[in-house]
Amino acid sequence: MRKFLPVDDLARDERFAAITMKERFADQRTALNIDGAAQDKPRTKFRLTPERRDASDGARGLMHGIFVGEIQALEGAGRTCFDFETAGVAKTGTAATESSDMDVPFALKLDMARQCWDEARHVEISVKLSDWMGTEIGQYAENTVLFAAACSNDPVLRLAGVNRALEGLAIDVFTTMKEFGDLAGDPYLEFCEDWMLADEVTHVRMGSDWLRKVTEHDPERRKKALDFQGVVDKLFSYGGTRSDSDESPIGLARRFRSLAGFTDDEVEAINEVSIQALDERKARIAGARAAADHAPAG
Amino acid sequence: MPVTVSPDTFTYVSFEAATIQRIADELVGALGLQDRIVTIAVDETSPLARTDMQIVDGAIAIRAASGAFEDTRKPRQQSETITATALGRVLLRASDRLDGGFGEAPPDEELSLAQVAAWETYCIGRLERLGVHVNRQRWLYNFRNRHGFTDAGDVAFDALWSSPGLTWAQLCAISESALANRAPAATSAPAQP
Repeated sequence: MRKFLPVDDLARDERFAAITMKERFADQRTALNIDGAAQDKPRTKFRLTPERRDASDGARGLMHGIFVGEIQALEGAGRTCFDFETAGVAKTGTAATESSDMDVPFALKLDMARQCWDEARHVEISVKLSDWMGTEIGQYAENTVLFAAACSNDPVLRLAGVNRALEGLAIDVFTTMKEFGDLAGDPYLEFCEDWMLADEVTHVRMGSDWLRKVTEHDPERRKKALDFQGVVDKLFSYGGTRSDSDESPIGLARRFRSLAGFTDDEVEAINEVSIQALDERKARIAGARAAADHAPAG
Repeated sequence: MPVTVSPDTFTYVSFEAATIQRIADELVGALGLQDRIVTIAVDETSPLARTDMQIVDGAIAIRAASGAFEDTRKPRQQSETITATALGRVLLRASDRLDGGFGEAPPDEELSLAQVAAWETYCIGRLERLGVHVNRQRWLYNFRNRHGFTDAGDVAFDALWSSPGLTWAQLCAISESALANRAPAATSAPAQP
């Protein structure tokens, strides 16, 4: 079986349609208030709550995002089990037990295997919830940026990108959806999100613990991994989709992030990068529109 | 009387004004609104799926954000089915207001979220019978979010969905029958803009 599978080679049937980050960036539409001169204009609230007029459709779209995210998380954790050699075990086809920095402890692989089991269950739950909400598989475009974070050649960077950034985002998303289900009185949504949320907290903790253990004597590698996590966190905050601002559909789940081992400073840093992503998106769209307004008619 | 669509050409999205006009003309014909002036203004700068409608001197003016006609599988591309569903909903509401029985209905912006969901259910049920492809479960979920996840709510949904002709008072009575059985934990806050 092929190792280090590129994101373009993910197996999907004809029901799925992919969208790239480049395509998302090319979309210059927004419902945000991007008029810098109108600072007194009230901000539009986009937090996903039942009070939103498009609440049920918003929840359906987010649920589909969770569904494809779970597929990619399963693929990422599975790849981490398979792509790297097990430390202290003879390499395939050789009798030697030469070690490499890229080898991973067996217990780490065991944790990733457990995560695969969880993610597969989450995919099944997500499919059933989508049925319940009236969404078909593949009804929304799939952004494969989550799996892209799991394509690093360094297992420590994968832990930072997948278990801390991606699964951290999952904590935020599941908390938002759990609260939505609770407020809307949807017993299945609230219950399922709560159980999946508990798993995500565990996945983040696993990532934090292994990141600390594997880089215990390698501060430079640890810094590189945390820097990579910062990049991924910003990608996952695309356009301010997730932040403390009520302009973001998804809030930061500070309590559950704390339970998962994030420090207050780390959560604040994610919030800052998310707000920055929101402001950057507003500025980019305002700039593009201004440029279009001043372009010569053709 | 042909439907008028603006803008003629789109820059933020890959929509065709002629496609929107064709779909709208078909719906207008099916709903018996041929004698009405119908205009559709698309705000292509907004990705929201919102549609608003005003009736002025018998003319129907529809404003739609581009997300209302967008293919969710292919962002910025148009979906004919989604366009038909969005326009069908709003044209049926206009038809209800113009053809009687809904005279006492408040203006759209004053409708409660439950009233909006009940009216949409009534519209989408009729739209399905006109041959437009709809996902019934999607609209049941929308209705449940506003009326509670209860058996009484589902009975009310079925009544609205399958009814060929209701008055505003009858629609409200069905909606209220479901709300009366809603669990107390549910929210009843007013809509956000």
